[in-house]
Amino acid sequence: MTDLLKIISPSFLLHHALYGSIVVGFVVPLVGVYFLLRRLVFWGVALPEVSAAGISAAFMLQGLGFTFMAGGESGERHLAILGSIIFTGGAIILLTYMEQKGGVPEGRVGTLYALAAALAILFMAFNPGGEAELLGLLKGEIVTISEGDFHAMLNIFIAITIAMFLFQREFTLVSYDRDMAVTLGRSVLVWDGLLYLIVGLTISLGVMTVGPMVIFAFLVIPPMAALPWARGMASFSLIASFCGGSSAFLGFYISYTHDLPLGPVIVCVAACVLILSSALRWLMPRKAR
Amino acid sequence: MSEPLLRFKNASLGYARRAVLTGVDFQVDEGAFIGILGHNGAGKSTLLKTLLGLIPTIKGEFHCRGSHFGRPRYGYVPQKEKLDAIYPLTSYEVAAMGTYRGLELMRRLRGLGHRDLIRRSLKECGALELSDKRYSDLSGGQRQRVLIARALAAEPQLLVLDEPLAGIDVTTQTALLKLFEHLKMQKALTILMVSHRIQRERDLFTRVAWVGDGKVESGPADEMLSEGKLMKIFESEL
Repeated sequence: MTDLLKIISPSFLLHHALYGSIVVGFVVPLVGVYFLLRRLVFWGVALPEVSAAGISAAFMLQGLGFTFMAGGESGERHLAILGSIIFTGGAIILLTYMEQKGGVPEGRVGTLYALAAALAILFMAFNPGGEAELLGLLKGEIVTISEGDFHAMLNIFIAITIAMFLFQREFTLVSYDRDMAVTLGRSVLVWDGLLYLIVGLTISLGVMTVGPMVIFAFLVIPPMAALPWARGMASFSLIASFCGGSSAFLGFYISYTHDLPLGPVIVCVAACVLILSSALRWLMPRKAR
Repeated sequence: MSEPLLRFKNASLGYARRAVLTGVDFQVDEGAFIGILGHNGAGKSTLLKTLLGLIPTIKGEFHCRGSHFGRPRYGYVPQKEKLDAIYPLTSYEVAAMGTYRGLELMRRLRGLGHRDLIRRSLKECGALELSDKRYSDLSGGQRQRVLIARALAAEPQLLVLDEPLAGIDVTTQTALLKLFEHLKMQKALTILMVSHRIQRERDLFTRVAWVGDGKVESGPADEMLSEGKLMKIFESEL
């Protein structure tokens, strides 16, 4: 109980890590529901890794003497965010384009994942001095983030949440029945574009906050846990978001009290929530489902 | 006589410049109930997608008129199997999609929807009691009713039904045919129904378009469904 009071206190030393994890836990599943419904779960594996490669590329540029935006830790962070956004956005455009070509989409996503993972390590070799900091970023350690950057990140996540609920009906329509959307005169390209822009931004910022592994987990596990209980898109999004946020909080608490690495603990807690959800569903009388 | 809602004149229809249907002369007059018939793979879907604006014509003329940016207001009922059952949408949400024509941001922020219209559409299709149920949990016939309600919620000038009776039991087929008759008689809707067979729905058609051999041949239902015509069509298929 004392530990719980300690970590929720505003003066708690790791409050950025705590609030960052919880916010990401609440927001990323709002995007993840569309990954699950559009059957793009593999994108959820590949894109956080691509984002990590983008961060690594930004550090490589600094190691090669490229000084743009790189003044102090905050500058390094901004450059890393830029690298992450460019790589993630580029990968989304590439995957969307390739999807229209047919073929074996899973194979392409798998290749992208392998390439991104390799590049993230290779780029790191060009900046040995920044390796420790980069590893910290990739693991999602945001202890050193400035107050200003932290609030900017929170504001972006709030904007993402508002957009996800405000345009939920458009995102659902173009995901569920594209032909219907066209007959109603709605632009599938515009709404897909906006959704993917939000996806790119969420993943890029999320990877900087909690690392690629946790982002993949938040994109997939909370929506999976929420799906059997949802009655409509709003309830689906809300339940998934609650599962993600509460997994992040509980994961942080366990990690702090037992001195365990944060990311893996959060993923394990989220998986427990999924198992609990599936077990409850299985135990429910068939009629009540 | 008023101008038709849609008209193809010597048009070629297909995908990526590969024509599936050529020399298409076909029109949809207001108030008509048109059956688009033909075997699987004959090109019915190509004709349907072109007139809905999902794919462009390759060659020839395609004119349309209507109240939605010069196009008719479509009420589209796709084949129910085309919609992914993973979505946890309620029947009400599916029907509500028919009203998603505009952004209506202010209306949305004020919490105003099209509740009356959606409920009326569901009721008209005998699906109001299904509102809170998950769409994916419904039977084939119930799903079809909800999809028709969704099309009606779009307040259509032209209702387009893609194989609405496929995979549905005879009792539900009878109920749906009664519903179509009601929409035709009471609401004076222009209806276009795609089918790969000619059974009980034939009495509803005022005009019929046969799709096959890369061509579209249309005319009054009596003439196009006459014994002689059917013999000719099925002989050419054989």
